[in-house]
Amino acid sequence: MLNDLQLNSILEDFDIAYWKINLLNKEVTWSEHFNTLIGNPEFSESHFDFFLKEILHQDYRYDFRVYFDKLTEENEAFSIELKLKLNNGKYRWFECRNLKNKENNRETAVLLFVNIHQSKRDQYTIEENFFYYRETAQMTNTGGWYIDTVNKNIYWDNVTKKIIDCPLDYQPPYEEHFKFYAPEEHPTVISAFEKCEKYGIPFKVELKMRNLYHKDFWVRATGKPVYNEEQEIIGIRGVFQDINEQKVNELNLQNSLDIIATQNSRLFNFAHIVSHDLRSHSSNLCLIVELLKDAKTNKDKIELIPNVTDISENLDSAINQLNEIVNKQSILRKERRIVSFEKALSGVIASTSSLINRENAKIVAEFHALKEISYIPEYLESILLNLITNAIKYKHPGRKPVIYIQTYIKNETPFLEVSDNGLGIDLDQYGDKMFGMYKTFHENLDSRGIGLFITKNQVEALGGSISVTSTVDVGTTFKIKF
Amino acid sequence: MGQKVELACIIDDDKIYVNLVKKIIEIKKLSKNLLIFKNGKEALDHFKLILENATEDVLPDIIFLDINMPVMDGWEFLNEFIKIKNNFEKKITLYVVSSSIDPRDLERAKSFNLVTDYLIKPIELKKFEKIFDRNGHAAA
Repeated sequence: MLNDLQLNSILEDFDIAYWKINLLNKEVTWSEHFNTLIGNPEFSESHFDFFLKEILHQDYRYDFRVYFDKLTEENEAFSIELKLKLNNGKYRWFECRNLKNKENNRETAVLLFVNIHQSKRDQYTIEENFFYYRETAQMTNTGGWYIDTVNKNIYWDNVTKKIIDCPLDYQPPYEEHFKFYAPEEHPTVISAFEKCEKYGIPFKVELKMRNLYHKDFWVRATGKPVYNEEQEIIGIRGVFQDINEQKVNELNLQNSLDIIATQNSRLFNFAHIVSHDLRSHSSNLCLIVELLKDAKTNKDKIELIPNVTDISENLDSAINQLNEIVNKQSILRKERRIVSFEKALSGVIASTSSLINRENAKIVAEFHALKEISYIPEYLESILLNLITNAIKYKHPGRKPVIYIQTYIKNETPFLEVSDNGLGIDLDQYGDKMFGMYKTFHENLDSRGIGLFITKNQVEALGGSISVTSTVDVGTTFKIKF
Repeated sequence: MGQKVELACIIDDDKIYVNLVKKIIEIKKLSKNLLIFKNGKEALDHFKLILENATEDVLPDIIFLDINMPVMDGWEFLNEFIKIKNNFEKKITLYVVSSSIDPRDLERAKSFNLVTDYLIKPIELKKFEKIFDRNGHAAA
């Protein structure tokens, strides 16, 4: 057996100090090592009192005294973690527990003090890190996931489950996990996962995901390969960050920005068109004044007068036309209401009945998929009016005009389509000008080239868009996305 | 005083303007003959026909081209006209004439080599005479 000296030296090597307690008189003596740890102090009171007062951190005094009493009176074992003030004046963590007492030894007890400062600090660091991780994950809506490609299993942490909006005990199906991505993202997702699984290429992408209830939302996803000891890829680990709110805001902002930019450029265009339009008349007027001045005879002068009449009439109609555009634009201040397509259309048909009857036009409407919409009623009527009169104006000479009007909902967005069997238009040649002002593509006398300009303006002013498809000699379809 | 040029051409959809210019040309005897087209396409078809029939003697000495026209506007006409212009031996002077004072239009017109100048409507009588004078001598 080891003698005390050997034992002492071993305990010292392991940085373990100890007390010996005389159970009869409760007197405490401590090991050399303990004395060194606390800096070989000099004191007059008992070891125990000095320890409580000067060495033990105050937070543990009460507990320690209770345990100590229990040990000395009832021989009850204990173990406690506490902080001791060492020779450098700093507190360090120790584990204090009594050495297993043999039943027969009723005279002395041994208390061990083991330095656990490092492991305690590590534990704190881990707890702290875990706290930061959890808070960060919750605050940034970031969830972790792991795909075990060997055993074909998927693991989601709680935040991921929250993002996907599924119960905490939900087990994601391995084979079908692509259903959690919007269909348009499938090529991107499949390629990212495949490249990661096969070649270990990490990914970081913004994706539209689909939750359990088929609602789409945006995430930022990262994924990295997981290797086993043989450096084979056994899975993919990564995180999802729910960025739906930011993404939706970003998209809205971009959308508003686009609308503002196009409106701005239209305004700029409009200003030039106004100046051009008015100038073309005023310049004719200047020209005629010069001719009048230059005319030798009264007969020459009188011959010029009809021109003046024409110019003044044209000028007047140009100003009226511009006024009409400005008026239509300013309806924007009006509010949206629930408008029935059927009602709006019947209003338009009533106001254009003479044109419709004259041309023998047939209008077919199909509104059962979407009967009404929240819109500015005047806009909806104006849009229908422009598209219908447009279709009739540019009818095919060989057939009666047929106009098919349809509403429907696709991807939660309402649409209106107006198709005709008219002349059609070469979009390769005129496509980009279709909705410009004063762009007329046919030499009809009544084509003024402002209808589609106004229609586009109205649709875009309410956040929608308009597109056109057409085939020459077959017909044209205008599609409005509300 | 003889005619300054043989044949002038106006491509413009503004009937009043065309009438007035016609009058000026008649009164001032600026050109013997006048070709008038109400849009770019009509003019282009005409020039293509000349090319096919090789009747260059009916090519104008001078063209006044408007920008804003239905069916085919001035820009589209210029883009098409570039392609066939070099087939003609005759020197044709082309002016873009518009009531647009948009600097972008001016820049764009100047970017075409075949455009001699960009004239803003109204063109004064004296300016008309000058233009015809210059081109008449050059053509003679």
